[in-house]
Amino acid sequence: MATLRFPLSRIEGHARVEIEVQDGQVVTAQFQAIELRGFRYFVQGTPAEQMPVIVPRICGVCSTAHHVASVKALEDIFGVEPPALAKEIRELLLLGQLVQNQATSLFIFTMPDRVGASSLFHMDESEADPHQQLSLAQRSLKVRQVGTNLITLAGGQFIHPIKAVVGGVTSGIKREPAEAMLKEVEALLPMACELFDEYWEMSMAMAERIGTWGDDQPAYYIASTGRSRPQLNSDVIRVLGPDGAERASFPPSLFRTYLDYEDTAYSYAGQTSYQGQVMRANSLARMNLALSMGTPLADAYLEKFTHTFGKPAHPILLFDLCRGIELVYAFERSIEILSRDLDYENTSVPYSLKDGEGYGLVEAPRGPLIHHYTVTNGLIEDAEFIIPTVHNMLAIERALKVAGERYVSPAAINLELEKAVGRVVRAFDPCIACATQ
Amino acid sequence: MPGKPTLPKFAVLQLSGCAGCEVSLINASEWVDQYQLVYMPLVVSTHAVPEDTEVLLVSGGVRNDEDVYNLRRAVQIVERVIAVGTCAISGGVANLGDRDDVRAMFMAEEQRHHLPHLLPKSRPIDAFVDVDLYLPGCPPTPELFMAALIDPENYQASGIVCGECGRKKLKDMRPKHLVGFQKGEVLPDICLINQGYLCVGSSVRGGCRAICTRPGHPCVGCRGPSDAYIEKESQVWFDRVQSVFERLTDIPPEEIRAALHSPQLSLFLFQFTDYMGGGRPPRPKEKVL
Repeated sequence: MATLRFPLSRIEGHARVEIEVQDGQVVTAQFQAIELRGFRYFVQGTPAEQMPVIVPRICGVCSTAHHVASVKALEDIFGVEPPALAKEIRELLLLGQLVQNQATSLFIFTMPDRVGASSLFHMDESEADPHQQLSLAQRSLKVRQVGTNLITLAGGQFIHPIKAVVGGVTSGIKREPAEAMLKEVEALLPMACELFDEYWEMSMAMAERIGTWGDDQPAYYIASTGRSRPQLNSDVIRVLGPDGAERASFPPSLFRTYLDYEDTAYSYAGQTSYQGQVMRANSLARMNLALSMGTPLADAYLEKFTHTFGKPAHPILLFDLCRGIELVYAFERSIEILSRDLDYENTSVPYSLKDGEGYGLVEAPRGPLIHHYTVTNGLIEDAEFIIPTVHNMLAIERALKVAGERYVSPAAINLELEKAVGRVVRAFDPCIACATQ
Repeated sequence: MPGKPTLPKFAVLQLSGCAGCEVSLINASEWVDQYQLVYMPLVVSTHAVPEDTEVLLVSGGVRNDEDVYNLRRAVQIVERVIAVGTCAISGGVANLGDRDDVRAMFMAEEQRHHLPHLLPKSRPIDAFVDVDLYLPGCPPTPELFMAALIDPENYQASGIVCGECGRKKLKDMRPKHLVGFQKGEVLPDICLINQGYLCVGSSVRGGCRAICTRPGHPCVGCRGPSDAYIEKESQVWFDRVQSVFERLTDIPPEEIRAALHSPQLSLFLFQFTDYMGGGRPPRPKEKVL
């Protein structure tokens, strides 16, 4: 028996892959999350209202999702309904996160794999279009920066936002900065589309070269966005069957009824399944669920995607293409919101503290995120973080096994396996800081 | 390009943390054109810090034995070490777990098969290696990153967050209790202390450009104490915060004192003084950006 161990880079957090091989057969493929900080334990005893400041520190990449989920869980306990303006600003915050995350995953994490580079900053551009004034890296970072700027505008602090508070948001967005942001989003939308087009072509070429789009066995899909258009500030979780038909739809409070969680000895993150079946969250789940995106350019991309790959689509490298559709959607949707008045009074409503149990749900870039708190005497008695990356663990391991079987034979281990491992893991864009907390 | 400051060859070592510091650094896109980033697993696939690296930025706290190993190995290569963010400086948010019930949980998990062994608590990096510069902030802004890499001595910033905030302090608006967000709206342009928020910006080091207080959230002190308090015990700093509240409000001192010890503040307020190890001298203010 031989154990192949692969360190990982260009993902969020610390993880590695171990594949056990015997007589040319892949026996197991494990995805190991190797860090742990213990948020669930050390937040016990914290005054409940401080959670929206503390929990973004679970992850600097997904901080916005934790910030909003935390506020929603507390509003569920206190019985508060935030005003409409606050909901719009929170949506803008989540859109900023979607832009930043999908741009990071597409251009910084996975684009180098398409051309065999070690990073976006080391790409060979000798054959690039001479009319391009800016390098791929410069254009990618400009597009990504739109997400950061949206988060800063709607969230205050640029990594660990502070503007969402129980009852609403601390302030609206004044006309002048909103218009400046609107101009920036409009100006960079064509660049985002162009980069995605280039990415799409690179992905087609890569699939041709390696001869596969990865694990294409059917799976269940889980997402909490709407069907007719995405809804990031969500309230219902949906599960699709392998045939694309909706199997379940439930509020976050019922997650235990539908999802099974198991600890694993070899990882600080556990794994969830849909009643024992392999389940997938993240972009491909949302695109398999979406009947439309509700914005013109994103709809055109969705149609092209569905026409090319069918619905539901199962191969894992399609996760990456779906992120591009969402990047374009997030730009278009931000333009809609920024065109409205976001600077009127009534940003937040008063509330009083209550004890009890509550759930906060948002659709994070990686899938449905639930914060589940129990509050006693105003303090957190228990806090559970139901993390989308954990929903993908079984799917990641299955896809690693498929990749292993492709490149391991009784005669030899093809060194392409190391690259394949990277591609598989990055397709799911796992977040290890979140998965282990 | 003439006049453009040059970056040193630098590496980023991420220990146990949230990657927020790395994300902030990516936002400082100036470095991209100079190709001086030689190691940062989040964005570059290289598996070791190269031999010609000049500066090492370390983010995250030391939470397990692999963190200790990676940290000790990396500092041997470089000329200068910069501790970045609250976790590297003090153990950070995970340090809220420095209490018996949480330690017991970690000890129980300590010997898991094939996984890095957990230490009983999250520790700052200078408990293991020497640090040349501390860059506090949760996370530090892209502007601060560039200053730390290029010219930390000449970075221009206000001494305290209030100097960058722009909200007006009023003499005749004196709350009787801390109210927090329960009251609903935050008034624009007026000092958050006048509105009954526990804002500690009056003694927290500037440089962040008051990104939290300007949109209406009280400063939680993530940059740590200003130069006036950084080498002193935390009590001196507490007294200072207390005196600001006495001047501007009628909130009972006990109420302020209790609130200052709450987790979201204590996480940041103790990052330079009273930190673990006891008896260690405070970090000199010249080494803090």
